[in-house]
Amino acid sequence: MSEPIYHSVKIDETKCIGCVVCMKACPTKAIRIKQRKAWIIGERCIDCGECLRVCPYNAITPLTTQASDINRFKLKIALPSPVIYSQFGPGVMPDEILDALKDLGFDYVYDKALACEMTSIAIQKYLERNPLPRPIISSTCPVVVRLIQRLFPSLVSLIIRMEPPREIAAKNLRRELSREYKIPGYDIGIFHITPCPAKMVSINRPETMEKSHLNGAISIKEIYNEIMSRLKNREKKFLVQTQSQVSGIGIGWAISGGEIMGIKGDSLVSVSGVYDTIKILSDVESRKLKNIDYLECLICPDGCIGGPLTVENRFLAKSTILNLIRKFGGKSRVDTNYVQQLYEKNFFSFERDIKPRPFPPLDPNKNEAIKKLKKKEKILKTLPGINCGVCGSPDCETFAEDLVRNEQGLTVGRCVFLGESNL
Amino acid sequence: MEQETILQEEFEIKGGDFLNGGAASCQIKNILKKIGVDANILRRVAIASYEAEMNVVMYAKKGIMRLVLTPQKIIIKVDDEGPGIPDIELAMQPGYSTATPEMREMGFGAGMGLPNIKKNADIFNINSTVNKGTYLEIMVDLNNKNE
Repeated sequence: MSEPIYHSVKIDETKCIGCVVCMKACPTKAIRIKQRKAWIIGERCIDCGECLRVCPYNAITPLTTQASDINRFKLKIALPSPVIYSQFGPGVMPDEILDALKDLGFDYVYDKALACEMTSIAIQKYLERNPLPRPIISSTCPVVVRLIQRLFPSLVSLIIRMEPPREIAAKNLRRELSREYKIPGYDIGIFHITPCPAKMVSINRPETMEKSHLNGAISIKEIYNEIMSRLKNREKKFLVQTQSQVSGIGIGWAISGGEIMGIKGDSLVSVSGVYDTIKILSDVESRKLKNIDYLECLICPDGCIGGPLTVENRFLAKSTILNLIRKFGGKSRVDTNYVQQLYEKNFFSFERDIKPRPFPPLDPNKNEAIKKLKKKEKILKTLPGINCGVCGSPDCETFAEDLVRNEQGLTVGRCVFLGESNL
Repeated sequence: MEQETILQEEFEIKGGDFLNGGAASCQIKNILKKIGVDANILRRVAIASYEAEMNVVMYAKKGIMRLVLTPQKIIIKVDDEGPGIPDIELAMQPGYSTATPEMREMGFGAGMGLPNIKKNADIFNINSTVNKGTYLEIMVDLNNKNE
């Protein structure tokens, strides 16, 4: 408990007026309104970014890396999510986007989709080696990992003990580039180009390793205009320098269902969106779903293309990705033997296990918690059940819970229907 | 030794109500999360209570599931009015099932219900009277944090 909990969004108090929109949208009930400002409860927030999407006052800021930060490093590397291929319309090819991205000031751009293909092969191996228990759950979405730690702590052991492609790619790159350019690893800055702010949490507070292989994550939104202007001004016969070896398997990771596309098996399931993910994990917890081998859960709707830091309409983005998958085909050019060698050397494995981090109970003492639970039920019966949020808690049940948790200065009089509002 | 009950909750289960099947065990799970029960214990209770609940939904007319909490243990008691189990020993065998083809199509009837409950319980008692009903008692020791 020594370190404060790090989160990827910040509330701008000059813009926040304390409306209830973000608080109502939060799937884990992590937001309260106090003194007309939104507050995030660190232990309850999973960094899903729902608040960021809905805020009508633009008062929630993602804490991603500024593009100018790359200049701290001698060698600057961009590692874009394949989502970037979906952002500039159906006619623009991956290589053109990679070139435009490089032109922003990077020395080298690596197509992360290749690491996705490597990871697909490694997942296949992992599934063969680890027959039980099932389902094995993907570790790709950092929000899903955090959601499991918080809300479904008993499922932590089902998460695949392998790093996601962005970390694998960065690990491999630092090793290879350090050798090639003969410079120490710490002089190389590797930046993920990200559709969501949650990657900042897995970079700054990694769960499964001492230090992330990435140096930061730059928002697609932040560099969108600059890439767009470069693409617009490109000459008709634009000489493409970057020759990506990518196939549809890697590009597919941008959408829901893409990760399992590169794996063989009868019972592979993909789920996207925060509510559907919570629902399926709840069913897995009760063993309601028994015959699933691998479960891909992505917190954003339709997968990473639905990320809060994307620009393109997600339905169009999905269509573009599907076109690219068809165009680039389902045959990966990644060397399977090479990936298997890396797998045997535990190159993909976590350095340490993910810990369960459940939401704090009503009281650390079980007997007290039960007393509070009963008290909460009693209070709840006196509340109107309108769930308006004016008291500063997202709904009547959470308000009752906040009351028994002894939130400072909180009284039932906060309820506008029962007493005078102090909001 | 009888121990002091610190919490008792009751949930009704309707036979044949597949739509709401799992609701009672889900509520039990949520209560245990709120009071801070260890993750492994929670998982075992969640699995055992879900299997027990679905047995009532699939085979019985109706039933009651009770959650009893003492300082040392969680007890789930399930009491149903239904056909009963003629041969408990046989029903306890992994893979044995009397599920109809319809139930199997829905993904039930793998014959793992009772064995799974037993596997996840520290103490498991079952009594059944044919044409009357079945009574289950599942005890999970709060201090046994192993599998």
